[in-house]
Amino acid sequence: MTKVASHDEISKSLKSFVEGYNRNAQLKAMNRDWNRTVLVQATDISSQHTLVLRDGELTLLEGTAGEADLTVTAGSDLLRDLFSGEITPTEPYLDGRLKVLGREEDIIRLDFISLMIWGE
Amino acid sequence: MALKRVLPLRTVVATSVGLALASSSFVAAVQVASFVAGDAAWLAILVAGVLCMLAALCFSELNGMLPSAAGLRLWLGRAFGSGVALTVSLLYMAVLTGIVGAESYVISHIMAAVLTFWSPAVWIVLMLAFVTLLNLRGVKLAGNFQDLVTYAVLCSLAVMAAAGLARGQGSLTTPLSPGSVDGFIRAVAVGIFLFVGFEWVAPLAEEVTEVRHISRGMLVAVGILSVGYALFTVAMTSLVPKELLVISSTPQVLFAERAFGAAGVAWMAALSLAASLKTFNAGLISVSRFMYATAREHALPSVFARLSYRYFTPWVAILTLFVVTVVLSLGVLWTGRYLVLVNMAAAIESVVYALVGLAVIFLRRKEPNLARPFFVPGGMIVPLVTVVVFGVLAVAVLVTDRRALLYLVLGLLLAAAYVRLVVPRLRERARRARLARRRQA
Repeated sequence: MTKVASHDEISKSLKSFVEGYNRNAQLKAMNRDWNRTVLVQATDISSQHTLVLRDGELTLLEGTAGEADLTVTAGSDLLRDLFSGEITPTEPYLDGRLKVLGREEDIIRLDFISLMIWGE
Repeated sequence: MALKRVLPLRTVVATSVGLALASSSFVAAVQVASFVAGDAAWLAILVAGVLCMLAALCFSELNGMLPSAAGLRLWLGRAFGSGVALTVSLLYMAVLTGIVGAESYVISHIMAAVLTFWSPAVWIVLMLAFVTLLNLRGVKLAGNFQDLVTYAVLCSLAVMAAAGLARGQGSLTTPLSPGSVDGFIRAVAVGIFLFVGFEWVAPLAEEVTEVRHISRGMLVAVGILSVGYALFTVAMTSLVPKELLVISSTPQVLFAERAFGAAGVAWMAALSLAASLKTFNAGLISVSRFMYATAREHALPSVFARLSYRYFTPWVAILTLFVVTVVLSLGVLWTGRYLVLVNMAAAIESVVYALVGLAVIFLRRKEPNLARPFFVPGGMIVPLVTVVVFGVLAVAVLVTDRRALLYLVLGLLLAAAYVRLVVPRLRERARRARLARRRQA
């Protein structure tokens, strides 16, 4: 595993995350009223993506788009592994390698979504 | 792209004050008064408040450097390693759960005295069930409503204290002479309990309109609490004999009755109920979220990571806590030993503040290049003083109450053994399950 992932690698893992989400009808139904914008940015390379959740549908955008409700910040390799389900978010979150900024209940919801997509 | 931030300074102060203000605080305030001569408790309370401000400065530096809802767990982990952080956090959360036991003892006696149709045990179950239900459904009080309740309680206490002091005019006994040094140190040590929870406002760092509001808010909150508690305690001891207050589990009601009669009792019951429900709610939220996060990192059984599909709340953790707090509260009600929980909370809080001071020192050396939007002024003086003073205060509390010392040592050994022996097995099991799922996929 490389220490630095490329922007394309992060894009690829985010796409698999979005696909995993949109394949899950239960998740879509549960998040129908949870409209949020999540900025995902790497600390070691120039890479920004935006996840937009509207009416239960999740879409991925390159770069930034408007005001974020949540920001997810980490090293590029961690972001790649996180969104592809290689690792769970809790441990890097608790040791500070992963920063998720936003309201606590939104952070828990995002964690729950990753749990539903990738398992424990 | 900017993050949406909504909470003003007013809400940070109200949240911090609201977290610390509990019905059991008045029991602790009377304990403070019992260690000093005459009506000099206000001096010990103000000193405890100033010392908590030192801790608040250390919290501010860590929070600015590593803002996270994980808070203490993250800071201690970065400074001393994840094993120490998990051990301390487990013990801290267990003692916080114990505060609910002490709090429910006090408030159930107040409610049963005012509304006599239910016994304290029924009140305990009802109040905890009500807060559990709110938590299960993810109901959050709106910021403005919380502000209103906290400031209403504060204003009421200020008015009651002023009126009480006015009624007992001229009857203050040695208000400037606290007596022996030993007694004064013990008074300050127990006084720390009055401020337990002010720092739990730190996880709001990313919701406030300005990050500096957290450090300012904590300092203002500790200042308000110091003055409020000091005035109210002196008003209590000036109007009601200390001997009566000390043996009562509801000293604030004795005072209210003496100062304002039946109306005062009803008023105080309403204030205490509001304060206790806020304390139960804060305790349940903090501990259940901690259990959820700890289960997600496989340091607690994974069942505690189950979230409600409808409300997105950790329902297994919340229901488990309901059972634990009810059993604990009924146990406290049966034995009447609520003061040991107050002393354990004061001691563990002092230990945590000392560790926070130490974490500031360690992290300045270990990670000097991390950006620090807030830097405690005066070099190492404030963190060092925080470590030494709170270390001494923890010892002072535990020397006074050997039972609290015994329970804390047992708790620490249990937590350390759990982290060393059980957690690696849980993690290994989770790793194998993950690998098996991968192979299947």
